[in-house]
Amino acid sequence: MKESLMDVVCCPLDKADLDLDVADRDEEEILDGTLTCTECGETYPIEDGIPNLLPPDMRDEAAA
Amino acid sequence: MTDLTERRGLDDAVVYQPAEDSGLLAEAAVAEAHGRVLEVGTGSGWVAEQIAEKRGLEVVGSDRNPHAARQARERGIEGVVADLCGPFRTAAFDTVCFNPPYLPTDPDNEWDDWMERALSGGESGRELIEPFLADVGRVLAPGGVVLLLVSSLTGYDEVLALIEAAGFDHEVVVEESFPFETLSVLRLERAE
Repeated sequence: MKESLMDVVCCPLDKADLDLDVADRDEEEILDGTLTCTECGETYPIEDGIPNLLPPDMRDEAAA
Repeated sequence: MTDLTERRGLDDAVVYQPAEDSGLLAEAAVAEAHGRVLEVGTGSGWVAEQIAEKRGLEVVGSDRNPHAARQARERGIEGVVADLCGPFRTAAFDTVCFNPPYLPTDPDNEWDDWMERALSGGESGRELIEPFLADVGRVLAPGGVVLLLVSSLTGYDEVLALIEAAGFDHEVVVEESFPFETLSVLRLERAE
């Protein structure tokens, strides 16, 4: 994901801002990292350049 | 076979690939889209790619299916795994496009995999259209438009009633008849 995506995403649970924590990036994009809700503290993974912003219950179901 | 082609083959098998409905939505979206664009349920990302290439707009493609988000990303679209408009900010987008899973499905007959989720709109055919319409106004910027594909199989009048209840006016952008259904793309704007 590009850093500019931060302008349009929020926590799916309470619509609060997200904090970006970058683990790996290239010149253009964040490849791995975490998005953390500034309100409820829920975390959302960024893997292979794709943020997973499903609510936690749907994320667990999708992993199956 | 390399890992990449293997993975692509797997993704293709579980991601809805472009069909007549995609073509119709792309035609409408290329004509009508402006500003920052979100495609909900982007699937293979093909419609999003058409908008990005032909209009030079920034397009985010979201899908519940991680394989779909990956295919969209491979097309150069910003892919996000999401449930409808859930993780998007208030007034973030000028255009939101959606070709919803719309086939009415007998609950006893559901096959419960990614392809079913891409096609099935539940018993009524409207199980995703309803929550989408209830929330899309939130993410729409002032002057924003929604482009929604509607099939006659889903109940055209019932969808129009949901559109009105969500506070939108509509007009038909394109319409095409096929042997088993008529597909329309509606342009929704907030009612005055």
